[in-house]
Amino acid sequence: MALLALENVSVAYDNQYILQNFNLNIEKGQLVSLLGPSGCGKTTTLRLIAGFLEAKEGRFLFDGKDYTRVPVNKRNFGFVFQSYALFPHLSVFDNVAFGLRLRKVSEAEVKKRVMEMLEVVNLTGFEKRFPKELSGGQRQRVAIARALVIKPDLLLFDEPLSNLDANLRVNMRVEIRRIQQELGITTVYVSHDQEECFSISDRVAIMNKGVIEQLDEPAVIFKYPKTEFVARFIGFTNFITFDERSEHDGKILLRIGDVVFQAGKNPGTLQSNGKKCALRPDDVRVTTEAAEKQENLLPGKVKVSTFLGRSYQYVVETKLGDFTVNQEMESPYRNGENVYLHFPQDKMVLVD
Amino acid sequence: MQEKNPGLALFTFLVFVFLLGPLVIITFTSFEPGTVLRFPPDGFSLRWYENIFKVKMFLKTFGTSIFVSLAGNLFALLLGIPAAYALSRFSFKGKSLLNAIFISPVLIPGIVMGFAMLKYVLVTYDLPIYAGLLIGHTVIMLPFIIRVVASSLSNFDFAIEEAALSLGAGRIATFFKIVLPNIRSGIIAAILIAFLESFNNVDISVFMTGPGVSTFPIQLLTYVENNFDPTIAAISVLLMIITILFMFGIERLMGLSYFTKR
Amino acid sequence: MKNKGLYLLLLPGVLFLAVFLVIPIALTIASTFYNEGSFTVQGYVTFLSDPYYLKILWTTLRVSLVTTFVCILLGFPVAYYISRLTVRKKGILLALAVFPLLTSSVVRSFSWMVILGKKGLLNSSLQWLGLIEKPLEILYTPTAMMIGMIHLFLPLIIITLVGVMENIDPDLLKAAESLGASRFTAFRKVIFPLSMPGLIVGSILVFVGSLTAYTTPALLGGKQGVLSTFLYQNAVTLNDWHMASVIATIMIVVTFVVIGLMNKVATKLNPKG
Repeated sequence: MALLALENVSVAYDNQYILQNFNLNIEKGQLVSLLGPSGCGKTTTLRLIAGFLEAKEGRFLFDGKDYTRVPVNKRNFGFVFQSYALFPHLSVFDNVAFGLRLRKVSEAEVKKRVMEMLEVVNLTGFEKRFPKELSGGQRQRVAIARALVIKPDLLLFDEPLSNLDANLRVNMRVEIRRIQQELGITTVYVSHDQEECFSISDRVAIMNKGVIEQLDEPAVIFKYPKTEFVARFIGFTNFITFDERSEHDGKILLRIGDVVFQAGKNPGTLQSNGKKCALRPDDVRVTTEAAEKQENLLPGKVKVSTFLGRSYQYVVETKLGDFTVNQEMESPYRNGENVYLHFPQDKMVLVD
Repeated sequence: MQEKNPGLALFTFLVFVFLLGPLVIITFTSFEPGTVLRFPPDGFSLRWYENIFKVKMFLKTFGTSIFVSLAGNLFALLLGIPAAYALSRFSFKGKSLLNAIFISPVLIPGIVMGFAMLKYVLVTYDLPIYAGLLIGHTVIMLPFIIRVVASSLSNFDFAIEEAALSLGAGRIATFFKIVLPNIRSGIIAAILIAFLESFNNVDISVFMTGPGVSTFPIQLLTYVENNFDPTIAAISVLLMIITILFMFGIERLMGLSYFTKR
Repeated sequence: MKNKGLYLLLLPGVLFLAVFLVIPIALTIASTFYNEGSFTVQGYVTFLSDPYYLKILWTTLRVSLVTTFVCILLGFPVAYYISRLTVRKKGILLALAVFPLLTSSVVRSFSWMVILGKKGLLNSSLQWLGLIEKPLEILYTPTAMMIGMIHLFLPLIIITLVGVMENIDPDLLKAAESLGASRFTAFRKVIFPLSMPGLIVGSILVFVGSLTAYTTPALLGGKQGVLSTFLYQNAVTLNDWHMASVIATIMIVVTFVVIGLMNKVATKLNPKG
């Protein structure tokens, strides 16, 4: 049974619905990310779980109990804020100790647990410092320590790394994952950074306009995005919407106009009954000569070519529209050159 | 670098002479040994400073003013801090109307407020004069308290409130342990500013006098209308010193830029 | 849960003001329309038809207008000068400007009594210099009131304007000059229009303030009445509370009309940037 379940939850603000009939299940011990563009509802979902927001409809079940009306301060969830929200008037030690002291833990026990936690986040020796004396990364670690020391039932992160610079972000996310796995604590993580979410999560929920478009392991989403939105979000730039779809000889046939493509049967093509096909720029091939009897070939003309370092990127004009292709080559094709695009049948993904 | 404009500099200098000159002048006249206000003074004497303490009414009304301004300040804090918090933290229907109500004592002419309170608070509600004074001064100080505290709260990261809640603190504990300590300097500055406004107030206090009850500025006013000796100059100097001390206090806490921000 | 707590926070303050301020003022205004049980506007008719009362009204307006005008004239250049100083010097001058604001109005008005009296500093100096033979009678005239009020409100205008000018992007002046404008033209076409809203706000404060000030006219105006001293006279000396309420209402109305008008002008000027 899922540890956390949102059932048909609706959240509205000023009569505008941000989440409607929203459902989410999270298993114990997992790190689940809510990923999506701003306005998609991921932060709203997180704050709902934390208890900062109330649902208009629906239920929030935690560990089998109905938490829907339980106030924030009774939920025992650790929350790490984007702005860290450290108490400016308290030292690092007192910040981390805050939650423990509210739980009437003995001072000796408080001292022990706070120092342990500071060690976990590599901040031993910083106890007497104040937040304004700390760097961004250090403040973030205090915020994490403060949320963890109370032994929360659930850990919630709200874009914790967006205020840090690039290399710090990479190091910190690894730290967060390490701590999470060591403690085995169920975690919900919100971010708009795709790489961040994919690198540390057990599951990722890609959200768009208050709806979860896909909830899966990162590797699965990466290979087989289920909807056009998800595909675009993770970098599939090429789309063809076919008119007809049929099967023949164990293959899926897709026809638009007089063009017919073949696609192999695999999770990527069987996941949807749709007729929209998506491909990554890296997966489409471009050649000047058409090999004989090769399926899924489309003639076109190079419109723009740019240098990416590893490869060249072409925008190729065809009768089905423009396509973006990345390919490693020694010398690039010139603008206006006539080429052939090849769409490998095992790289095509069918999306809703 | 900006080019110096000597004409403008001179103009500014003259304006400041106009502003501060009279105050400097009465500082000098306070040391006049004779009984007539004269500038420059004939000599140097502190007799008029001594005289302040000899006139019983001065000491009594000074005490009244201090008490009224302190007590009124306390009431204003009790009423104003929650109001300022509510106005800063939440958005709700009727917020601008409430804002207007809380600001209104500043907009309504003081003399009109004083009279209206005389008419109704003292007469119709039948409250004693002292109560009228306390109420009147609380009304004066309330908008200052609210404005300064709301200003402190405008820079407040309310996320730390949510952090405290998530760690298990109740709303009231959060307010006292987390919000108040972080607006402490704002509150103290508010107290100082409001106190000065209340202490110096004439418009309202002038209606709230009675047998044996009066505030210090009103007593001064009466004295000036009847006597014209350097005692007033001496009192003025002492008051100015107190004002300077207050200014230092406010500068320390909020910076004088408070007065230029609108 | 949230809403209940919210109103609990606001209620005491609002209730307090309602009972001790809003209601008394409302009732004061209302009372002017009733005399001995029946509806009447006699109080206003009396006020507006008696030349004695009208003179007081006129004196009040005159003094306030002159005060406002002179304050702007003196305050604007000073504010401009201060706003362009280095932080340190600016701080010192602002502190010096704020200081008079925080001292008691009794002290400030008193200082002018010392200067403007028959045997005061001004007369003694002028006589000593041989410029006049008999002492000038300035004290207890509207002129003395104006001087006292200008002294009272000038710091207010300076501080308001400095605040406004500080918010003007210094790059704007440089941009104007880079496009060919002279120092003066840049001031006229950039600084002046942008300070307008602040100037208006400051003017309202000064005008309304001088309209309703009590201490300065009481000490420096003598028998020349203005609305505020007249109100006091009626309330306390003459015990004519009906007339006092009429005067109070007129003061409130004028105050709010002026503020309203100025607000309209300010918002009209604002979109022009």
